[in-house]
Amino acid sequence: MTSREPDPAERHHILLNPILLTGKRFYITVGVLLVFVIWGAYAYSLQWRYGLGVTGLNQPVSWGFYITNFVFFIGISHAGTLISAILRISQAEWRRPITRMAEVITVMVLFIGAANILVDLGRPDRMLNILWYGRYQSPLLWDVTSINAYLTASVLYLYIPMIPDIAILRDRIRGMWHWFYRVLALGWTGTPKQQQVLNRAIAIMAVLVIPIAISVHTVVSFVFSMTLQPMWHSTIFGPYFVVGAIFSGIAALLISMALLRKLYRLENYLLPIHFNYLGMLLLIMSLLWFYFTFAEYLTGFYGNEPEEMKVFWAKFSGEYALYFWTMVICNFVIPVIVLCRRKTHTILRVVIASATVIIGMWLERFIIIVPTLVNPRLEVSSAVYIPTWIEWGELAGSFALFILLYVLFTKFFPIISIWEIEEGEQVGLKEVEKRIRSYMPQNI
Amino acid sequence: MGNDTGPHKKDLDPSQKKRTMHLWGMVIDLDKCTGCQACVIACKAENNIPFVGQGQAEKGRDIKWMEIITETHGEYPKMKTRFIPRPCLHCDDPPCTKVCPVHATYRNPEGIVAQVYSRCIGCRFCMAACPYTAKYFNWNHFKIPKVMRRYNPDVSVRPKGVVEKCTFCHHRLMKAKDRAAYEVREFRPEEYIPACVESCPSQAMYFGDLKDSKSEVAKLAGSPRGFRLLEDLGTKPKVIYLSEGEKHDLP
Amino acid sequence: MRMKHIQTREEKIVFGFQLTLLASFVLAVGGIIVWIVHLIRLSHELQDIPSISIGISIVAIPVFLVLLGVFNYVFWGMLLHQE
Repeated sequence: MTSREPDPAERHHILLNPILLTGKRFYITVGVLLVFVIWGAYAYSLQWRYGLGVTGLNQPVSWGFYITNFVFFIGISHAGTLISAILRISQAEWRRPITRMAEVITVMVLFIGAANILVDLGRPDRMLNILWYGRYQSPLLWDVTSINAYLTASVLYLYIPMIPDIAILRDRIRGMWHWFYRVLALGWTGTPKQQQVLNRAIAIMAVLVIPIAISVHTVVSFVFSMTLQPMWHSTIFGPYFVVGAIFSGIAALLISMALLRKLYRLENYLLPIHFNYLGMLLLIMSLLWFYFTFAEYLTGFYGNEPEEMKVFWAKFSGEYALYFWTMVICNFVIPVIVLCRRKTHTILRVVIASATVIIGMWLERFIIIVPTLVNPRLEVSSAVYIPTWIEWGELAGSFALFILLYVLFTKFFPIISIWEIEEGEQVGLKEVEKRIRSYMPQNI
Repeated sequence: MGNDTGPHKKDLDPSQKKRTMHLWGMVIDLDKCTGCQACVIACKAENNIPFVGQGQAEKGRDIKWMEIITETHGEYPKMKTRFIPRPCLHCDDPPCTKVCPVHATYRNPEGIVAQVYSRCIGCRFCMAACPYTAKYFNWNHFKIPKVMRRYNPDVSVRPKGVVEKCTFCHHRLMKAKDRAAYEVREFRPEEYIPACVESCPSQAMYFGDLKDSKSEVAKLAGSPRGFRLLEDLGTKPKVIYLSEGEKHDLP
Repeated sequence: MRMKHIQTREEKIVFGFQLTLLASFVLAVGGIIVWIVHLIRLSHELQDIPSISIGISIVAIPVFLVLLGVFNYVFWGMLLHQE
């Protein structure tokens, strides 16, 4: 980590380029993203002024796009946990170029998820009432606590492994930003004791982050399963949502990997093998997701409860059939077809599968929320939910803001962990050899 | 909601429990209900419920604390329509109060499920949780047209972005209790009657103290014709319906 | 322990900023704990099932304290072992 020939920062200079140089393409990207963010902000300003009536929500469909977005974005946050924490704990060496990208997704997307809930409130000026008058009996408070814990843990889990890389930047950059990196580097000089502290802290965080992450999406699912509504009041929701979250998280990670590889010329770091392995994980999650979905719908269908069946048929063959079957195709059919043969995992195919999964998982949240609300137990008149441009604008703004925050992050910190790559090359190989030797028969 | 600003410590004062606690409930005789909707209109007039206008009503934003559910049975020419007036059922185990994040809806000791407009943040979780869809949201700043603008001074007007619902005309209860206190006498349960019950032309609705075994409501609640909506969900609603008699000839 | 690396004024300012970072994290976690305790007291006062609040606090408060602990460990571990 200190002076070895050649200097790691020199060898990996391509990882520092985005921070040291800024080209025209960056400004164009930021410009385009800002357009969508401004669309979303303008749409929200109208909603602030005139009330939630500017959306397509009504009686009884009182939740729609905003809650869908909330669940969807919080779901994507599981990208970081799975890759960083689980792969770190299982000592999978192929995680090294990917961990930081994944962790950044988690941190940024949690803000977007929380923002969507605030946008959904009828009285956002009273949001502090949750602090003054909160009730822990309500699943929304479980959400608040859990997401706060996850955000704190994720920021820590992003920051701590970044310290050696911040030190590299501190040593290379002069001027105003030098102080910024110097404060954050916490005096890192690469001594063995510091390395030990760092490794221990990362190990603790990796173990801690996993249960927190699982609790986050479980309590998000409890917002629905703790009510008595048909096809919401189901015990499978906790694990179902967690599986869906990990699924959509891997897809989001794959897309961001592919984009960053292209834009920042990381072809030597993000190799086809990384896409291959993550593609396998995506396939596994797709099969798992299908298993949960199948179990859920078969149980409802077999029980044949009239109110549940109204919702069931609305999804299967009624007004939501198009979205339901698109979801199944996007989440199961296409990924399985594209990914089932490991040898054919090109980067393009994996990215195509990921893109369809993103669409499919957004549709999945929508299909869970709206058809149940459209078919209440005591039906007075037929309900229809047609989202307005305000809600579309807010969706576009959410995606754009997330990507913007991500892009801004890459301008300040290296998106691939330089010291972990170095560690992999110098120490990892020997460790893996030792480990594999220990699996083999001994003393024969 | 008049003087009521939310759950208070004094509501749980043990000395108050020794006084007779009422349990307000309603009985609706479906054999007498003609579906005339006088109760719907009386409720709207009494509770300053805004006119959302035709455009908004077509989008499904109409606020009707008391609503008539129509069920048609059979096929032409042997059709029968059933009219079921549905106010808030003021459950004894309300699913809506469980999920409110800010104590903006709660069940008071006399059995009325109350709404605190000034604290509601408009998350609409209670709306999603209510199996009877008895809660309504102020999607815009709805107004009453000038020509009709005769507000009832006892009922607060709700701002946009908060949830509201039937309150069993709780302000009338407060007024009756105040009047009794002013006239230094006992409050009599017969003095408290919601607007819908009062307005029903066929006298199909009864209201009173379910705990008072001598009241008409308590007696009718035990009738063999009595049933509650979605009873198997365990919400313990306090609106009891009396099903139609043999002459009603439902298929 | 060994703080002799903080000699110059410039190093003192940097250390000041770093301490501010730590202090704001401590305040944030402290604030969250105060808030959770406030909610426990509120639910007890209104007799609204305080057991749930207590149960959640038994899990949540230690989690936040552990996170604070880890940050402290890293913070002082980095700054005090610079040679």
